[in-house]
Amino acid sequence: MPDGTTAMSPLLDLARAAAAAELSPDWLVALRREAAEGFASAGLPGRRDEYWRYTNLNALAQRDYAMAGAGSAPDVATLVDASLDGFDGYRIIFVNGRYQPDLSVRGGLPDGVRLAGLAGLLAQEPETLKPWLGRIADLGGMPLAALNTAFLGDGMVLLVDKGVVLDKPVLLVSVGAPDERAVTYQPRNLVVLGDGAAASLVEAHIGAGSDVGYFANIVTEIALGESARLDHCKLQDEAASAHHLALVEARLARGAVYDGFVLQTGAAIGRHETRATLDGTDIECSLAGVYLAREGQVLDNTTLVDHLAPAGRSRQVFKGVLDGQSRGVFQGKILVRREAQQTDGHQLSRALLLSPRAEIDTRPELEIYADDVKCSHGATAGDLDETAMFYLLSRGIDRETARRLLVGAFVADALGGIGAPATAEFFSTRVRAWLDAHIGALPDTGDDVP
Amino acid sequence: MMALLEISDLHVTVDGKEILKGLDLAVEAGKVHAIMGPNGSGKSTLSYVLAGRDGYEVTQGAVTFDGQDLLSMSADERAREGVFLAFQYPVEIPGVTGMTFLKTAVNAVRKHRGEPELDAMDFLKYVRVLAADLGVSDDMLKRAVNTGFSGGEKKRMEILQMATLAPRLAVLDETDSGLDVDALKVVAGGVNAMRSPDRGMLVITHYQRLLDYIVPDHVHILAQGRIVRTGDKDLALAVEENGYAEFLDAAA
Repeated sequence: MPDGTTAMSPLLDLARAAAAAELSPDWLVALRREAAEGFASAGLPGRRDEYWRYTNLNALAQRDYAMAGAGSAPDVATLVDASLDGFDGYRIIFVNGRYQPDLSVRGGLPDGVRLAGLAGLLAQEPETLKPWLGRIADLGGMPLAALNTAFLGDGMVLLVDKGVVLDKPVLLVSVGAPDERAVTYQPRNLVVLGDGAAASLVEAHIGAGSDVGYFANIVTEIALGESARLDHCKLQDEAASAHHLALVEARLARGAVYDGFVLQTGAAIGRHETRATLDGTDIECSLAGVYLAREGQVLDNTTLVDHLAPAGRSRQVFKGVLDGQSRGVFQGKILVRREAQQTDGHQLSRALLLSPRAEIDTRPELEIYADDVKCSHGATAGDLDETAMFYLLSRGIDRETARRLLVGAFVADALGGIGAPATAEFFSTRVRAWLDAHIGALPDTGDDVP
Repeated sequence: MMALLEISDLHVTVDGKEILKGLDLAVEAGKVHAIMGPNGSGKSTLSYVLAGRDGYEVTQGAVTFDGQDLLSMSADERAREGVFLAFQYPVEIPGVTGMTFLKTAVNAVRKHRGEPELDAMDFLKYVRVLAADLGVSDDMLKRAVNTGFSGGEKKRMEILQMATLAPRLAVLDETDSGLDVDALKVVAGGVNAMRSPDRGMLVITHYQRLLDYIVPDHVHILAQGRIVRTGDKDLALAVEENGYAEFLDAAA
């Protein structure tokens, strides 16, 4: 019996109840029921599950979650505005996983772009969604994806027709707003870009209201057509006691570009898992991340880049700053199938341990079946470079300021891959705010550094 | 009157091994002293111990800077008081731009001196004039500190830091290493421009060549952890002619 199975009844009961609901169309009902039973037999992943060895979900199993209702955030509109801070884009807003049309701003979307709540689209034209939902990737053997599918009902849908280039980023804000008791919400997002289409999606996951804990279990399915391009950036800044478990499944066709970035600062347990399938030649896939953890937090970044076809290029750069008794997890795998000759795959994980009680668990994996490839991985963990520290001190900069500069510099290159200036500014501002609050404020240098 | 820098009977241990074994030296304001010595004589140890690097343990002796006990100060305090070390191997700091680095340092020193801090605009004006003389472009200042710089660029950046911080004591550790003659002339020109009656300089070098361009008032030979000979610039020429062998014999 998998770990946790015995104690997981509250979540399983919820999943079964959700899947039992009478809905249409039939295929959706079947999908949900099958998923609920899949979750029932697998249980929550435990320590014996090789990709969950370092991130313990016992707290989830034991907690008596309720399905999230509307929540009781005092003023979500203000919160969203503060979070986006003038960031210009099409807004799609969720509270406890439910689409909020009144808060969303979708005016002026170009022809050939659909940006909608999943629930509405499922009600109106389920056939549009049928080819994609649950079908972009094999979610078998992924218990949390199964759990999510059991609830499949709301989330974001972004469909971009062939050749259409979205002029502004889509800004998805998800607000966790629990009431008096701990709640869970399980949104499903779907992004489909036709051949030659291009879009930028920026997600911000934030908490509001009373911090009694909530569990956000998010699955995002992405399909990119030939030569399509998606820039996909995410901020995970959930409430301090929240659990945030997210899975991104991306299937990429020939010549497509997927550029992913995640900044994790929030949640008691935060996990961002990306599984990219490079199903065509000449695909570029870049996964970057920064995680900044404090006392008691566990922040997990897990990746799988699966090269199925020749001449794919993948890059991964993850940088963590771990303070207090916090823990970082990086599990990164590059899988190169036999046909995937001339693959160029690189991975770098670096963690800065600012406290003797901080811990990083790193698990880099290269699994290569082709013989003409360039692949590498590197992982480091440690304290600040003493030579660099002395250099700054020797110029009169005090130790605290020097430390702040060096920590900012440490994460800078993972941020550097964000192309669009407004997006880069959004994330570097967040990093800077975290560093100023928890490492120390930097004197104004008049320069745009994290 | 007490010299700007006074070193007396300095013994320094690194990793349990004694490197400096009773070094005496005085550097007066307005003077340039050169220290020459073979590899392993303790030249870099001297520069690091003056700058306050961790891991250099002073087991005996004293160092005063402008009458204050230098050894009791931390590395950053020394720098704010006016001690500057130009590194033999300037450190690359990816992610920190040259401009941020310089401005943070200059304002730390200005604040310590009770001078108003410079804002971004004033700082840019201040640094551009100095940078132009050393052939340091705006582009170099926008890039991460020393990252991907050539040997010559790194050394010019060191001298620019010295010029912007305007120290009272400059210690130059093998500033000529890795420089071709053109770069050497630019760097030496930058150093000479900073010679002034209220500033002392300690130029540490293995080769006499640098001293053709930065002409010292005094030359000392360091061998096996001690100053074994002191003279004027002709002493450097004698070393160039005959090598260090006779001094090693003398020190043994």
